[in-house]
Amino acid sequence: MADTIAPTNPADASAPRQADVRTEEMLVNMGPQHPSTHGVLRVVLRTDGEMVLESVPHIGYLHRCAEKIGENVAPYQYVPYTDRMDYLAGMNNNQAFALAVEKLTGLEVPERAQYIRVMFAELNRIASHLVAIGTYGLDMGAFTPFLYCFREREMLLDLFESACGARLTYSYITVGGVTDDLPDNFVDVCSEFLDYFEPKVDDYNNLLSYNHIFVKRTGGVGVISAEDAIRFGLTGPVLRGSGVKFDLRKAKPYEIYDRFNFDVPVGLPGGTGEIPRGVVVGDCWSRYYVRVKEMIESVKIIRQCLRDIPAADEKEGVCHKKCKTVKLPDDEVYLEIENPRGQLGFYVKGDGSAIPARVKARGPSFCNLCVLEYAGKNCLLADIPAIIGSMDVVMGEVDR
Amino acid sequence: MTQFSVPWKQSPPLEYRGPARGIVALARMVYTMATPIVSRFPGPILLGAIVGGTLLVWAHWMLFGWVETIAASDVNGAAQSVWGQTLTTAEIGAYLDSHSIVASGILKYLLWPLQLELLRDLVGLGAIFGLFNLIPVYAIWWERKVAGRIQSRMGPMRVGGWHGWAQSFADGVKLVGKEDLVPEQADAMLFRVAPYLAFVPSLLAFLCLPLGSYWVFRNVDVALIFIIAMVGVEVVGVIVAGWASNNKWSVYGAMREACQMVSYEIPMTTVLLIPIMTAGTLNMVQIGDMQTGGWFSWNAFHNPFTFIAFITYYIASLANCKRAPFDLPESESELVAGFHTEYSGFRWALFFFAEYAAMFVVSALAVTLFLGAWHTPIPATWAFEEDSIVKIFLNGVLFSSPFWFIFKCFIFIYIQLWIRWTLPRIRIDQVLYSCVQVMFPIACVALVGHAVWMVLLDGTVVSDIIRWILGLLTAAVTFGFLSVAAFGYRNGRQMVGYLAVKQLPGA
Amino acid sequence: MTLRLKKILLLMTPLAIALSFATAPVQAADTDLSLSDQGIQTSADGGLLEALMFYACAGVTLACGFAICLSKNIVRMAVYLFGTLAAVALMYFLLLANFIGVIQLIVYAGGTLILLIFGVMLTSKSPWAKFEVKRSELIAAGIVCALFAGMLLFVVVNAEWPLETDAVVVGSSMTQFGTGLLTDYLVPFEAISVLLLVVMIGAAYMARQE
Repeated sequence: MADTIAPTNPADASAPRQADVRTEEMLVNMGPQHPSTHGVLRVVLRTDGEMVLESVPHIGYLHRCAEKIGENVAPYQYVPYTDRMDYLAGMNNNQAFALAVEKLTGLEVPERAQYIRVMFAELNRIASHLVAIGTYGLDMGAFTPFLYCFREREMLLDLFESACGARLTYSYITVGGVTDDLPDNFVDVCSEFLDYFEPKVDDYNNLLSYNHIFVKRTGGVGVISAEDAIRFGLTGPVLRGSGVKFDLRKAKPYEIYDRFNFDVPVGLPGGTGEIPRGVVVGDCWSRYYVRVKEMIESVKIIRQCLRDIPAADEKEGVCHKKCKTVKLPDDEVYLEIENPRGQLGFYVKGDGSAIPARVKARGPSFCNLCVLEYAGKNCLLADIPAIIGSMDVVMGEVDR
Repeated sequence: MTQFSVPWKQSPPLEYRGPARGIVALARMVYTMATPIVSRFPGPILLGAIVGGTLLVWAHWMLFGWVETIAASDVNGAAQSVWGQTLTTAEIGAYLDSHSIVASGILKYLLWPLQLELLRDLVGLGAIFGLFNLIPVYAIWWERKVAGRIQSRMGPMRVGGWHGWAQSFADGVKLVGKEDLVPEQADAMLFRVAPYLAFVPSLLAFLCLPLGSYWVFRNVDVALIFIIAMVGVEVVGVIVAGWASNNKWSVYGAMREACQMVSYEIPMTTVLLIPIMTAGTLNMVQIGDMQTGGWFSWNAFHNPFTFIAFITYYIASLANCKRAPFDLPESESELVAGFHTEYSGFRWALFFFAEYAAMFVVSALAVTLFLGAWHTPIPATWAFEEDSIVKIFLNGVLFSSPFWFIFKCFIFIYIQLWIRWTLPRIRIDQVLYSCVQVMFPIACVALVGHAVWMVLLDGTVVSDIIRWILGLLTAAVTFGFLSVAAFGYRNGRQMVGYLAVKQLPGA
Repeated sequence: MTLRLKKILLLMTPLAIALSFATAPVQAADTDLSLSDQGIQTSADGGLLEALMFYACAGVTLACGFAICLSKNIVRMAVYLFGTLAAVALMYFLLLANFIGVIQLIVYAGGTLILLIFGVMLTSKSPWAKFEVKRSELIAAGIVCALFAGMLLFVVVNAEWPLETDAVVVGSSMTQFGTGLLTDYLVPFEAISVLLLVVMIGAAYMARQE
């Protein structure tokens, strides 16, 4: 891999200005076993002292043929494999695949199940963002917010466990609904958790978001302009951090998202309102802060869900009766939903049998990672973890 | 045990033979015996260890002092030396007989070696080495406990029973038992030498570090610069380790360390000139003994510039012993583990000993130079006359003692831990910016300001008023912090999973 | 540098140590013990122990010096240089020149040497640079060294070495040192200050961004 990178000309206009004392360029392998590449990502850095001139991501260390498996099992059997793609947001992945198959087959989902799906998708969004925020602090050297985030995430996992019995790979949202109905006191416990959780976001802000060192480390680093973000096809918090107000839940509401009232947070320039000075739209701090804000919006959605959710109906249940026997028509469908990391799309093609002819996923992490080569250029070595962390990639989904 | 067939060569499992076997058995026996006792009486044992250690050093001091008086009275104060003019056992026996001390028959043989300075130094060195080993062991354990509490978890709880008191010992045993790995492509000689280059200087710094007016191994007139030099020389080991590992991340760590240390030594030594100017000496014992007059006589409150100097010194010292937020040489999220990426086992442990000992040394410098050294906030002029052992003990508890010195040092180590587990790490350009453009100008202004103050205002009423204001302010801030901490300790017992266990179903 | 030459030179190191054993002056043994009460360290009577320490330091200095010449690896050379500097500092301590010894450690071992290694790592072709010497360079260096050694030997043989000096240390050496710097030696002191100021301005000028 080393010889694929051409040496730069010192007179190159893109070369950093500070490098008066030019040293020998060095190729450094960051990963696949590196603490802050969030999995088995390998980034080859061409460095000049502490300056990074070029960073090239290399992927594929976690390839498990997840899409090919989809062509050999029935959709309801494939749902557990979607958990393993983005293992931090299993619920959202289940939901995306289930929605795609339902659109293809025309299965009707009971209304209570739809509320449960939205609720768990949002709870999982909070859990996923908690990991993203916590590990981002860890990348910056702040260990403590990480454990605070995990403390709250533990409670979320307890909620998931009470509903479906699993704590990481849920397979709860399935084709035609959800596997089980909620436990009896779930609404009370969940609202108790939300009451507990909402003020904790202020704690994270005080500890990490507005911390002077943290702002200095992330503000103005790895800036991606709105045009570039769209040009690279970025989605999710990475796109919204660049100031583009685009969220599939608002723009193209799927499921029952059109019934809820919530905002879409975007990156704002520093000095306005609560945004500290030194922050630029589209930098690492903006991407990070969009996630913090999204957690509050998710809490709003879950509260509305808990308020509006219809009572359990014994006759209808929470899952379509034919969810395991349904045949896929000879047709194709592509459907995207808003995953915590961006737009997760599933392409499913049927051929009249119970097993899909083709399954293909569009992973948000994979598409967001491609901007690393652009953003991680001419920065300091310490900025690379900051940039990778602000992308919040999950390698399981990048490599699939 | 299942035997797996692996493609590489396997060495037979390690067996303890000879003396090692005995040592292992002994350690196991001591551990099994000590564990239930320590779990039951942790407080009394801690107190007993402090009093016992103090008594031991006292006994050493008095015994050698006594032999010195024998020598002085009998041989007309001739110099004692290793191979110089020494007393014979007959002379000692004669002295003991003339003072009608019983059991002199055996005692004279026991006392004879005590007149050798070499033996005295060896005993002192043993004490220093013990202290040097105990401080990192318990600082590491304490760091883990503090980190645990800050992060709403418990920290080590298992080994030894009471709050994992033996955790660091167990870690040490594990590290010593590990294979001594040297990477194939590394510069083996330098790789092996480097940990000692880091370890030995920080040990040497303890030679001149006074724990009390008389509690110092070598009372050197240039003790202060000697200690700074030792803290500085420690870097050589780190750089050589980073280079010899033949690992790019290690080289990065070494380069950052070199860069950071060389730059932060400048503001650090500049602000250290301020207490030196106040005291007029480089002798640590003399500087410490000048601050006997209680809280308001401590150097930090001398004038606003010394106070600034104190804070500047503390921040620079964080950078100097590579603690967060200046822990760039080993920043685990960027450089894997920095300069000690390739190290494991005993050599890795040496780096940690060096680091924690350096933490203690810089805290000790802060305490000695700015915060009254081994004196309590109560003025020493109120101390009792030392005519009985009880009064000596009371003076030690209330006015000045090595215990107080170590206690103060550990307060500063605690602040280092607190900062480490609270703040993110700063970037290398920000480290250098804050050194050259913030710390150094502040240090220079404080130095010049202090010089002007000493010429113009020292000894005037203004100086006294400022000193009282600064002292009271600091006392108020300290008290505020302590009350917040106490409040948090009473109300903030919220561990991970605590709420979940209480409230949620299925958990 | 062939292996054979290396071996010969390594064999010469103990020889040199033995030579210095034979010729080194014996230290006067009458230091004032009362000085230790004032916090001024005195040597342990200049007895056998001190002589042993002196020869050990001299040996380490010489050995490290030879090793610097023989090593091809720049960072190893720097480490040997550290050994030389530290041993010389120890020798200063033995001669009761505490301040000079400490300054030797802090300036050369703790500062200059680190900058040296830093510079090597930063600017060499690769951090793992080897140091190759041409034969012509070796010959030239040998001639210069031989001349220098001859000169030193001449001085050592012909100079008079007064073994008896006045009191070694009186009062605090630090106070004397400081007073001396600001009274008798004020002009050289100021000249060095100006030199350092010029160096600092130059460094700032070179480091400033265009």
